[in-house]
Amino acid sequence: MMKKKLLTGLSVLLLTTAVLGCSSKEKNEPTSAGTASAGSSTESQAAGAGGKLDPVTLKIILPGDRPADMDLIIEEAEKRMADTINVKLDLVFVPWSDLASKTQVMLASGENVDLIFDAPWLHMEQMIAAGYYEPLEDLLAKYGQDAVAVRSQQMFDANKFQGQIYALPLGNSHLDGRTYLIRKDIREKLGVPPIETYEDLVAFAYKVKENEKGMIPILAPGQPGARDQTWGAFRAFMTYGPEILRSDALGQSIVLNYKNNDGKVYNLFDEMDPTVWSWIEEARKLYTDGLIHPDVLAIKDVNTVFESGNVAILVSNGFGVPSNMLASVPANVPGAEVEAVTFMSLEKGVVTTNFKQANFQAIPKVSKNKERAMMFLNWTAQKDNYDLLAYGIEGRNYEKIGDDQYKSLPDSKYGYFPFAWVWNPTLDRLNAGFDPVSIEHYKFNANADNLIASVLTGFSFNPEPVANELSLYNAIEDKYYSALFNGVSDPTETWNRLKAEGEGYLKKIQNELQKQIDEFLKK
Amino acid sequence: MSFIREIAKNKYLYLLALPGLAFLIVFAYIPLNGHLIAFKKYRLADGLWGSKFVGFDNFKFFFMNGDWYKVTLNTLYLNGLFLVFGLGLALVLALFLNEIRQALFKKLAQSFIFMPYFISWLVVSMMAFSFLNTTDGMVNRTIESLGGEKINWYLKAEVWPAFLTLIYVWKFAGYYSIIFLAAITGISGEYYESAKIDGATRFQQIFHITLPLIRSVAIVLGLLGVGRIFYGDFGMIYGIIGDNSALYATTDVIDTYTFRALRVLGDFSKSSAVVLYQSVMGLITIIVFNQIARKLDKDSALF
Repeated sequence: MMKKKLLTGLSVLLLTTAVLGCSSKEKNEPTSAGTASAGSSTESQAAGAGGKLDPVTLKIILPGDRPADMDLIIEEAEKRMADTINVKLDLVFVPWSDLASKTQVMLASGENVDLIFDAPWLHMEQMIAAGYYEPLEDLLAKYGQDAVAVRSQQMFDANKFQGQIYALPLGNSHLDGRTYLIRKDIREKLGVPPIETYEDLVAFAYKVKENEKGMIPILAPGQPGARDQTWGAFRAFMTYGPEILRSDALGQSIVLNYKNNDGKVYNLFDEMDPTVWSWIEEARKLYTDGLIHPDVLAIKDVNTVFESGNVAILVSNGFGVPSNMLASVPANVPGAEVEAVTFMSLEKGVVTTNFKQANFQAIPKVSKNKERAMMFLNWTAQKDNYDLLAYGIEGRNYEKIGDDQYKSLPDSKYGYFPFAWVWNPTLDRLNAGFDPVSIEHYKFNANADNLIASVLTGFSFNPEPVANELSLYNAIEDKYYSALFNGVSDPTETWNRLKAEGEGYLKKIQNELQKQIDEFLKK
Repeated sequence: MSFIREIAKNKYLYLLALPGLAFLIVFAYIPLNGHLIAFKKYRLADGLWGSKFVGFDNFKFFFMNGDWYKVTLNTLYLNGLFLVFGLGLALVLALFLNEIRQALFKKLAQSFIFMPYFISWLVVSMMAFSFLNTTDGMVNRTIESLGGEKINWYLKAEVWPAFLTLIYVWKFAGYYSIIFLAAITGISGEYYESAKIDGATRFQQIFHITLPLIRSVAIVLGLLGVGRIFYGDFGMIYGIIGDNSALYATTDVIDTYTFRALRVLGDFSKSSAVVLYQSVMGLITIIVFNQIARKLDKDSALF
């Protein structure tokens, strides 16, 4: 008797949860007519002869944390789309730290995703090689006229993979910004004038060491995932003549590199570049002098350490002070102020770029709504819609300043992430909170004519033939690179070990890369 | 026939076992197919069966480089330390707890040593960092106030096996001691009474009654640990050491090494090959140790 009662009880419980689970998703909002966005030719075309399209929910994978105001923006966007492309948005945010593994598992397990963030620094080439993404040429031609129009032809040409467009490039400029963040209040307290050269920066660091007890002068990322931001290697972004560029095969490492725009792959194991060696030796000196954070290799999140207020100089990406730091640093240390300093060139024809963008949205092969996903991307390429998705609701999250700048409002709960899904150089607004120099840098680099076009523009490396060597070499380099370029271990000894273990594999990678480059240049 | 009769006779008992059996089949037996990936050039587009068969090609990546035996040794060494010290201390703790006569204090002490088991590795890693960091870590502050020189623990690979063992013992000894304590509580009080009448001291009771009677529990726990000796505790090692390359020499285990090597390439076939290597080695070790256990004590062997 008891057993039977228990069983029926259990099955009832199971049934109710199943029913509840289903019903919670059935929340069809009545479509509110009349508030559609500014009309556009393609929109009406997309709606097509059949009149209204069936509602479709797009699952979109984005990096980072879900902003608190996200639902308001989604509601507004769905309202605007209701009469035309009739798309509902299911945005899934994946924390940066899990991004690589989570997105990969999503793709590998065939999860039904309609749009997904990917990037060459993440695993774009590998995912393309593994056949996860849909080529976009046809879809762009049919449903993506606006998305094409807001991006330059150069941007599409340079961001092809294996000769095809596999994802929509997202970018507002042709070159990534690189910056040193500096505690302005401390600089002024020590009577140091505004920093203009790298020598000034190091002199400032020494002054901090002397005068500010408990303050750590320099912090740079020490994790293998941020090799390009190690103190020594970071200098490559601001040194010209020779300008040392990272290779397409290794991503962030400069052990294989390009220079002089001559289509050759240089290998530091064959011949150590004296400039690179001087960076390494200098980093070592700064570390042993106690300027670089002693636990640089163990710190997992450098931004948090900087924000907590006892670091004077931090290596950072982008131009200008990140908007969250403008608020968080003074909140943690009353009176503190952060400024951005960069030594990147503003002279025409000095900096080389391959116009590769760092962020992309791809449509996975498994998506059942490829057309609608492209229509959505196209929809985001209209000014009003772009403003909504990029900056939020006007008056609540941001204020327009002219046609090309914006100011985020103090109570806004909508973080900045247009780079992850809508970014393009035509519709983008600059943060009016940036300092004038940073804005100048952004504008300078948005104009392709200011930069030297690399002969390798449009080239992409196929890692398949040297996959084993790449994974082995990466595992070896992981052991030494960050320590070497942050000055944590003895330069000569570390370099010799890296060379002894990795040289053989790297040679094979170099040869394969050179082979693919030669083929590319012959065309 | 007798099989069906057996099932019909005890149908409610079998019904009770059904969810567990289904769980095992779905999550332990069906996934065995996945080992096939290790021998294929797996592409999602082609599926598991459609992907190209490449034999032992995927194993090359792991064994091509001299690092494979270093990380294997690290894994064995660290897990060996965890096993010996973890179980050893748990046993001692259980004996101590058992000797406490005041019920309230016993319960409190038990909860207190059990608590760390619930703290996630990420939190543990932050605690470790706040203890050991060079700028304002508790340990270095103490050293400094005693007039010593600060030590940069996060660059000293040689001390980390000890630190990790310490952290492991702190986290798991309480958990295992509860299992031992349960076994001790199961021992009949009559043994102790008669021993007392014969004039046995507390220590004599422990050595001649308690320890021999919980030997089989200790051996089973040990065997279970040995079976997983080739699996590095990824959550622990990656949580605490992370990507700190200065500590790889002593703390890099098979799991973290593979994760790092393949995180850029994201190759399922190669990771499966490494997992298969770990499984096969684990199987061999457990069979060997089970034989040894059988020689020592027939009843406590697993199979």
